[in-house]
Amino acid sequence: MAEENLSPEQSLQVIQSMINKTKQDMSDNSIYFLVWGWITFIACTGQFILKHFVKYEKHYMVWLLILVGIAFSIYQGRKQEKTQRVKTYVGDSMKYLWMGMGICFFVLSMILSKIGWDSAVFPFFIMMYGLGTFVSGNILQFRPLIIGGISAWVLAIGAAYVEYDYQMLFGAAAILISYIIPAYMFRFKNKIANQ
Amino acid sequence: MMQQEKQLTEKESLALITQMINKAKDSCHDTGISVIMWGALIAICALVKLSEIHFGYRLPFDIYLLTIVAVIPQVFISIKEKKERKVKTYDDAFIGYLWLGFGITIFLMIFITNAFFNVLEGYTNTEGHSAVIIMYEYISPLFLLLYGMPTFVTGFTMKFKPMILGGILCWVCCIITIFTTIKIDLMLTAFSAVFAWLIPGIIMEKDYRKAKRGLAEANV
Repeated sequence: MAEENLSPEQSLQVIQSMINKTKQDMSDNSIYFLVWGWITFIACTGQFILKHFVKYEKHYMVWLLILVGIAFSIYQGRKQEKTQRVKTYVGDSMKYLWMGMGICFFVLSMILSKIGWDSAVFPFFIMMYGLGTFVSGNILQFRPLIIGGISAWVLAIGAAYVEYDYQMLFGAAAILISYIIPAYMFRFKNKIANQ
Repeated sequence: MMQQEKQLTEKESLALITQMINKAKDSCHDTGISVIMWGALIAICALVKLSEIHFGYRLPFDIYLLTIVAVIPQVFISIKEKKERKVKTYDDAFIGYLWLGFGITIFLMIFITNAFFNVLEGYTNTEGHSAVIIMYEYISPLFLLLYGMPTFVTGFTMKFKPMILGGILCWVCCIITIFTTIKIDLMLTAFSAVFAWLIPGIIMEKDYRKAKRGLAEANV
């Protein structure tokens, strides 16, 4: 590449365009929120229907759906790694945060499987959904995610006071408010910005 | 000082940016005071609780209440550090939000587990063991799970290995404590607090002082 003389203004323009590029890249990450959001929402409501109405004994099997989420995340992560041109602070922070969250969900599952799946499961998971979205919302400076995270925390408290069956519905509501709706809003906002 | 507008080559622009980043990095070493305080405090609380159970005595107050009291010095430390800091990096903001979220989650964890204790009061399992006591066995793993999260993420963000390892240690201890008795749980909690927070905090503080001395010398 030929060395080009850049005035300070031009240097700033280069930096500005890189920032804009990163902002655009961020919209791609909403796909994770959507895929995991819908999987969890379907699993929560599905488990409630299977347990409460169908009276199916192995109602928890519906959670095997998360395997689809794991497969998708690995595939998408690899694809992004290949195509991503710029490494960003926001991208790195989100990666580290959700790596930590992923490990937390796994370890929490181990604890709760020992306590017993049919007891105090959902309030703890909802609480963790809240943590992930609250911090993500602040990193991305996106208010709906922050509000979603706080709402999930409120729902976690509420879920601690209801029977197990209804905890599932609290889980579905939390995921809807903290993952699915903010992710669609994020996409919509970016679509308008790009136009 | 007014600087004349000068044409910069790409290389010069990048050199200037790199220089600015390095300058910011030098003045941005974190003090380890808060991390040391929380590490020591959690370790002391866990060990005092352990001695209460082991020697069969009871303090007139719950030792873990000290963690609420410790919020006061934490607020002062945070205000002081904010004043001293000349530049706020993106990582600072991220780590700040992360630990704020962690603090709220810890508070929620206490609230939720207490709610469960109230619900389980009076219940027993098929072997006649109290449900409250059974739940009590899982308190340490639940808290260790949370301790690991911001420690691990902060370690990765700051590229600071002692904290990455500390976070992983919390999670390993968390899994072990699922299967162990309360006494071992408390011992492992103290162990995790020392290795995840106290020791990394001491290393951070040393680095901070070294960087501060370096900056002072450079400004002479």
